Amino acid sequence: MDILIAQIISGLAMGATYSLIVIGFNLLLLVRGVLPFAIAHIAVLSMYAAWIVLEQTNDNLFLAIPVAILAGCLLNVLTEPAFRPLALRHAFLETVVVGLGMGIIATDVMSHFLHHGRPIAFPEVLVGGGGMMRLGVIVFSLGDAYTLFGAIGAVIGLIYFLNHHKQGRAFRAMAQDVNVARLLGIPFNRTGIYSFAICGLLAGLAGVLMAMTLGSAGPALGNALAIKAIVLMMFAGMGNLKGGLICALIMGLAEALAMAYLPGRWTEAIVFSVIMIAIIVRPQGLFGSQA
Amino acid sequence: MQNKGNILKVQNLSVFYGRITAIRQVSLEVNEGELVVLVGANGAGKSTLISAVLGIAPAKSGTIRFMGQDITGKSTDSIVASGISVVPEGRGILPLMTVLENLQLGAYHVKGDITRYLELAFDRFPVLAERKNQPARTLSGGQQQMLALARALMSSPKLLMMDEPSLGLAPLLVNELFQMIDDLKKEGQTILLSEQNARKALQYADRGYVFEVGNIVLEGTAQELIGNPQVRHAYLGGAE
Repeated sequence: MDILIAQIISGLAMGATYSLIVIGFNLLLLVRGVLPFAIAHIAVLSMYAAWIVLEQTNDNLFLAIPVAILAGCLLNVLTEPAFRPLALRHAFLETVVVGLGMGIIATDVMSHFLHHGRPIAFPEVLVGGGGMMRLGVIVFSLGDAYTLFGAIGAVIGLIYFLNHHKQGRAFRAMAQDVNVARLLGIPFNRTGIYSFAICGLLAGLAGVLMAMTLGSAGPALGNALAIKAIVLMMFAGMGNLKGGLICALIMGLAEALAMAYLPGRWTEAIVFSVIMIAIIVRPQGLFGSQA
Repeated sequence: MQNKGNILKVQNLSVFYGRITAIRQVSLEVNEGELVVLVGANGAGKSTLISAVLGIAPAKSGTIRFMGQDITGKSTDSIVASGISVVPEGRGILPLMTVLENLQLGAYHVKGDITRYLELAFDRFPVLAERKNQPARTLSGGQQQMLALARALMSSPKLLMMDEPSLGLAPLLVNELFQMIDDLKKEGQTILLSEQNARKALQYADRGYVFEVGNIVLEGTAQELIGNPQVRHAYLGGAE
């Protein structure tokens, strides 16, 4: 029983980090009509940024965490000009190609230049949040708790921002009708940069949380994460923010439980089979598409 | 007509969509406090002119001056910020957002507190106050037109442009709409109105321009246009 609960917490924590990437995809899809495949790679690059700072500063967490989050933001904003002309002419499929290209380049950069392509391991002070937590008979890592609350806090913050902030309303107006939004004087370029910045912050945060829960990263992580996030986005319904959060949590949970209770390495095959069937039966996704 | 209260001055403006001329060498002006109407059939270039003033349709040649400033080629958001707002063709409300949120978006470029402008909008259109937390799609057609107008007024624009506002409205609502436009004009609002319902529009307008396949073929005071046999024949359902 205590092991089951610890598995559930760790699964939810993993799912919560997926949700940040999925929401990044969804938000840019809605606001900008682009599919920024490389957001997952940017999250992994943020992990590298955190790792480099930790190496250089003798494990200074208070510097490494903000640097990683800001690195995610900056890297994502740098990709915005490449997507802008495509967003202007509503060329959705082309944005998929551009995003894929960026992901492949990022993977190559990680394989050739960063730590000679070898996986990086995060120090004890960060992994697992630096300790274990005991509640009655349940023991779980503090890192899982931080991750779960950090990610869910970020999603709640984002939803509040979208509903109650002037810029958030501008995002939603762009998502609903880009032509009307422009007639109302909402700046197309600036709104695009803001939306990439916010999704970059989410990716950076996802990087920090993955460093905490996974404890390591490598060049291949970006692709694995991107595929999962895209599939989850389709599973939940494209552009559905809340659906993305819930499905990501379910996926993390299912993976953790399958890992603990199913034989061998069948976890991903089982999870993806369920998703495939769901998409075939319900093309609009579990929660309905809003794109 | 070159007086000091010149708000909008369009000179020799041409706009192309690809290789097709949408408007050719069009010149017109709107003075402070005037209600100017653009008359013409569908596709004659009225909406293109409005799009060009807003910087949506790029000008191939010619200039657009607003309050003395050259705004040709400026971005739409900077043009809107400088004091032009529009009631788009088909109303352009954001259906999934609430009435209040639609109004707030109309004041995107207003700095600081917008409570005063919201109160003005709700005073003018009490039905919007009653429904301010409903999604805009739940409003009737007439109410949506009110919302679009109220939203365009949120920024206290120096120039209000309305693109075919009467389209799709029942006759009774059309009368109501023109009553509102007339009230606005009496308050001193400068208005450029594109309208297929020439009879109705010229009844309230100060001046008008007649568009035909991308050209302005006639211009004059509303009285002159109503009295013009050509206009009577083409746009006012023939002479009696």
